[in-house]
Parts: sequence; C-alpha cells; structure tokens
Amino acid sequence: MQGNTSKKLLVTSSPHVGSPLTTKRIMLHVIIALSFPLTAGVVLYGLYSLLVVALATGAAVFGEWLYNKIRRKPDTVSDLSAVVTGMILGLNMPPTVAFYVPVVGGIIATMFVKMLFGGLGKNFANPAATARVFLLLAWGTQMMNFVNPVDYGAFTAENFFMGFTADSAYVTSATPLAAIKSSALTGAPGTDLISLFLGTIGGTIGETCKIAIILSAVYLIIFRIIDWKIPAGYFLSVALCSLVFYKEGWNYILPSLLSGGVMFAGVFMLTDYTTSPVTRAGVWIFAVGAGILTVLIRRYGGMNEGVSFAILLMNLLTPLIDKATKPRPFGYTKPKKQKEGAHDGENK
Amino acid sequence: MKIKSFRYGIHPEERKDISKSMAIEALAPGSLLKVPLNQHIGRPAKAVVAPGDAVKEGQLIAEADGFVSANIHSPVSGTVIKRETLRNYLGTKTECIFIENDFKYVKDYLPPAEKERSALIKRAREAGIVGMGGAGFPLDVKLSPKGEIRTLLINGSECEPYITADYRLMAERAEKIVRGVEYLKIAAGAENAVIGVEANKADAYAELMKYVSGDITVEMLKTKYPQGGEKQLIYALTKKKVPAGKLPADIGYLVSNVATAYAMAEAVEEGKPLIERIVTVSGLAVKKPANYSVRIGTSFRELKEASEAEDDFVKAIAGGPMMGVALHSVDFPVTKTSGALLLLTEEEIRSIEPTPCLNCGRCANVCPMSLLPMKTDALILADKIDECRAYHPELCIECGCCAYVCPAKRPLVQSQRLAKKLIRERGK
Repeated sequence: MQGNTSKKLLVTSSPHVGSPLTTKRIMLHVIIALSFPLTAGVVLYGLYSLLVVALATGAAVFGEWLYNKIRRKPDTVSDLSAVVTGMILGLNMPPTVAFYVPVVGGIIATMFVKMLFGGLGKNFANPAATARVFLLLAWGTQMMNFVNPVDYGAFTAENFFMGFTADSAYVTSATPLAAIKSSALTGAPGTDLISLFLGTIGGTIGETCKIAIILSAVYLIIFRIIDWKIPAGYFLSVALCSLVFYKEGWNYILPSLLSGGVMFAGVFMLTDYTTSPVTRAGVWIFAVGAGILTVLIRRYGGMNEGVSFAILLMNLLTPLIDKATKPRPFGYTKPKKQKEGAHDGENK
Repeated sequence: MKIKSFRYGIHPEERKDISKSMAIEALAPGSLLKVPLNQHIGRPAKAVVAPGDAVKEGQLIAEADGFVSANIHSPVSGTVIKRETLRNYLGTKTECIFIENDFKYVKDYLPPAEKERSALIKRAREAGIVGMGGAGFPLDVKLSPKGEIRTLLINGSECEPYITADYRLMAERAEKIVRGVEYLKIAAGAENAVIGVEANKADAYAELMKYVSGDITVEMLKTKYPQGGEKQLIYALTKKKVPAGKLPADIGYLVSNVATAYAMAEAVEEGKPLIERIVTVSGLAVKKPANYSVRIGTSFRELKEASEAEDDFVKAIAGGPMMGVALHSVDFPVTKTSGALLLLTEEEIRSIEPTPCLNCGRCANVCPMSLLPMKTDALILADKIDECRAYHPELCIECGCCAYVCPAKRPLVQSQRLAKKLIRERGK
C-alpha cells in the first residue's frame, strides 16, 4: 500500500464531471444534419452540386489551416467548424457556378470572416452568409443563375453530371421569389406549393428541398444542438410580415416561407452560436428581427432575396441585443440609485 | 401529487445506482483518528485536552471559540497522543487532535435534552452539530436568527450525482429523521416544516410519508441539479425568492438537511454528540461501493481500502462531483461535512482542456441564478474587473452547471470564483 502514497491524483476545482458534448460533437451533429439537404441537392441537380459543396468545404478548411500556418497558431481544423461553414456556403450556391466560385468563397469565409477576427467564437458575422454576400457582389450572374432540376425522364449521363461540361442542357428557370416579388400588388403569387415543398424548382443546392431541411431541423432540435426558438421565431415573423406587407397577404404566407433561403437559414444560419444572442429574450428579438428584415428586403428592396442580408444585419446587432436583454439574476432587485458614480451593493 | 422544482439547472448523469442499494454499514474505527478542529464555518474550536489525556467516546475535546464556532468531541475512547497542525485538503492548515483508539468504546454522552426551544438550541451547540449538507454552518447559530422563522425546510434532495448517504438515511431511518425535524422545528420556533425529497428517491419519500403528521409534511421534488441549493430549494417548495444579499431567515425560512435532523435526534434523545456520519464511497474505481457510518477523524484511506478500490482512479473527491473538493491524497480525515469519497476513473471526469467559447449560450440557459457565465469568463480573463461587476459574479452559487454543460469545456464556474475574489480584493 505504500506505493499508493506516491500516486499522483488530479486536483482541480469543481465540478469534476461534465457533459459528454464537445465542440467537435456539436459540429459532427450539424454535419450529419447538413447531409440531408446535400443529398436532396445532389438528387435534384446532379453530381456537380456535390463537387461545388466539396470545393467550398475543402477551401474553407484550407483557409483555416493556412491562416493558422501563417500565424504559427495551433491547428484548429480538427474542431470541424470549418467543415460546417464550408458545407453551409456550398449549399448556398446554385448548382451551376464555376469551380473557382466555391473555392474563393470558402477561403473568404474562414480565413477572412472567421480567423482574422480571432477564430471560432470570435467572428461577429456569420462566415458563410458573409462569404455568400461577397460572392453575390463578385459573381452576381453566376450566383443567381438558377436552373431546373435534373430531368430524370430524359435521363442521360451528361444530364446527371451537368455542370461538368460547359454547354450541357441547363434550363434556366425563373425562381418563385421573382414571381412573389412581381405579384406583390396583385395578391396572387402563382407559385406551386408542392414543388416548393419538394424542391423541384430552381434554387441553390441546399435550399430548395424543404423536406430535407425539416428533417435536419428535427434532428438538430432532438439532439439539442440548436435552439428551437430561433427557427420558430423566424418562421413566425416571416409569416406575419408576409401577411402584412403583401396584398391579400394570406396567399403569401406559405410561398414566403417555402421559397428562397428562409427555411435553410432559419435552421442552419441564424442558429450559428457565435453570431446569435445568448439571452432568452435576445434570441426571440434576433429571430423576429431577422424575419422582418427578410420580408422587407424581399418586398421593398432591389433584390428578390433578402435572407443573407437579414442574417448579417442581425449578426451586427447581436452584441447590442445581448447587452440590452441581460437577464435579471434570480432574487436580484436593482439597488436604489445612490449618488452618481458611487458603487453600490458590492461593498459588503 | 405535484412535483415541485426550481427553474433551469441540469440533469447530470446520476450514477447513484453504484451505491444506492448498499445498506448503511458501520465502518469499524481504526487505531488512530485525527480529528480536525475546524470542520465548520467560523472560528476553529479550541482544544481542551492535552497529549496523554484519556478520553471517552463523545467527550468534549475542543470547545467552540466564539459565537460562530462548534464543539468537537472524541469519536472513540482512548488516549490523546498529540496535537499537530496539518495541512487540510483545502490547502490551509488545521490543528488536529490525534486519538489512539482503545477499542473499548466507553461512552461519555450528554443526558437527554428537554424538548423546549432554548434547551434544544443549547443541545445543538453542546453536541457540536453543524450543517451536514456541505457548508458546515453551526446549527445553533442558524437556529437563533434575528427575524422570525415561519417554516423550516429540510433538504432531502441529495441532488449531487453519486452520493446516496442521505438517501440511505431516509430509507432506513426515516422515523428518527422525522423526530429530528420536529426538534429542529421547535428549536427554530417555526410553525411548520417541509421535507423535500427528489423524485429519484421515491422509496425514501414513501418511508418519510409513513411518519410525518400534522405540521410536518413531505414534498416530492423534480430530480434536477441543483435542487438542494438553498435558494433553489426555497423557491421549489415555497415559490419565494431569497433577495440577493439576504439570508433565508430574512424572509422567514430556515433550511437544514436530513442528516443534520438525524444528528439532532441523536443528540436530543441519546445525548450523542456529532462524532459519526454517513459517507458514500463510490465511483467506477470502487469495487465494493458502500454507505458507511464513519467516525469523524477516520482517514479516507481506510474507506478506500474497505471498499477495495482499484488503483485506476485519477481523481479522489471529498463530497459530490459537482461541488466536492479534489484531494491530492486520500490521507485526510473524514469531517462532519464529508458526504462522500468518490474515486473517479478517467472516463468519468470532465476534460480540463478548454477550447474557445462558441457563444452557444448553454451556460446561460442552465444557470439557476440567471447569470451569464460566458461573459464573466471572457471579462475576467481579460482582467476587466469593473465591467465584470455588471454580470454579478457575487451572486453565483458555484453549483457548476455552467462548466458541466460547456461543450468547449471552459472553466466557467472557476472564472466566477476568480471574479468574486478579484472583486473582493480590489473592490475596497
């Protein structure tokens, strides 16, 4: 038993146990959830879309790795957060973009938006949303070139790999968002809700198939990875604002929710931990505010889609929201104002 | 029946099954007991015996020094060998009285006490009873607050994972606990008493129900940590919030726990001072988990050996895994507040390698005091003490929920402690 005395024991301050959830596990859960819309995207738009997402992911990871290498910082790629950023960015692109678009986007997302501001947890804006806005400005036509899904009825190999060959049979389609915008004063959006729901429309790789996104949402909420209040508040707010801002608004509630990036952003992008508030009240303000902005931009702005901009604007407000909604500690009441500048309540 | 609870908090892995079914077993005292003189909050007791003195079991060996202090009694009969100042597991120093056990167990208890308020308070002081839930606040001081006590609340929640000492006590000795509660109620001058038991101890609840009557009642509490936190327990049972910076007594409540009530019953009925307590020995490294009835002053090493612990434990903890103290050696004596000895293996303990904060908000969502631990953590590490005050680290009850849930494994509650300390030091 004497040997025992020299046994080294770990001494730390309490608590001594912890939940098994780690940053990496959270990211793995998100990657699993992202694989649902990715699968749907590949089925809808062909294999080239997989390459787009893979390039964006690879570039995002590379951007983070390179930054750490240049700054001689410890490698942080293994926390998988760059993979999540890259996948979200890739899924936010049309399936027809040239290969360099996701590559540039991925590097911008991690290297510039995330790492330059201090890395994981420190960036003030959502890396994927910011990179997407950058790409929209840089390659506007490519980023808004939406095509119809693969026509499996007239199936050819070329059809499935469309995008690999320059002049494959793309059928460019007007998106439902354009229809919603142009019909705002007529009260009849004329969108087919079923194809909106299934995703058999033109759009970005990950955004169109709502079934896949709903599955992801259920998955992420069950595993308590995302706060259900964010998608719930966002969707409610989009629905309400559509009702108010469009003529015969009730016709616009479902089309607004099911078109563009609303569902995808509500589940994957607004829920980004780093750029969303941490307080209970703040989360509601954030989600509802993003919904209002989305609809206002769609209805009155110059573009058909406003989700990315709404996300970025709300990201910028997040620190302020957190500050303004600081919860009152249990049992705490504000001490009565004393003379200005005097510290009160602390001098026990 | 309505299950009561507080808001927020966590559901840590309970691991109470390890020792839950083990009946209380008396651990035979060893030949040497080291009795520390500051097992309570307040001033250490003053020794009244000298080396060479013969002592009996239950004899006063150190007396309370001042109002907030507690008597210490000899856990066995035998001889005082020496008095020595040793380092205790908190890192500070404590005078200990070494007693050699003569294995005769000649008792020198007090006479039974009158069941009347001042006599009961006096008995709590004579018997050296302190809060056995962990804090170790002298009971007689608690029983004589400035204000009126309306209701006595008894904590039987035992919300810390692993520990089953209070559970076994309630399941096996409920009748005596209820009598102890009655004495505490009289001593506090309270109108009624409520015992709160977590739902995962349904049989303890049923057992207590058999013996309570009149103005003593039992309530079932939701199994959630920190249900036994003083402010949380009061809120769960009464829906009243203790104002920040105030004591429960200021709003008419007094909180004690079942082990303290049991000790009170023993002191009143048998005149037995607090020289013994139930200690759970658990953890995955333990081959024979147990709930021992242990004499104060017994070395944790004896507990470890009695339960045939494997040597693969990496942490030894006095108390629960959420708020207990990590020991650097098992050669410390059991005190009045040691509810458990946990020998934890690598797979049970929390990683201590922090990664960057994700701002996920989990810590804020679980904080039973509605604080924002991630803000305190970031600010205090940046040495922004004045900004830190706005997040009220002084209200933190150090339950550890924030650090438990943190996916980045950040030492959040530790930062709150640091913030408290720095604010105290520089606030003057």
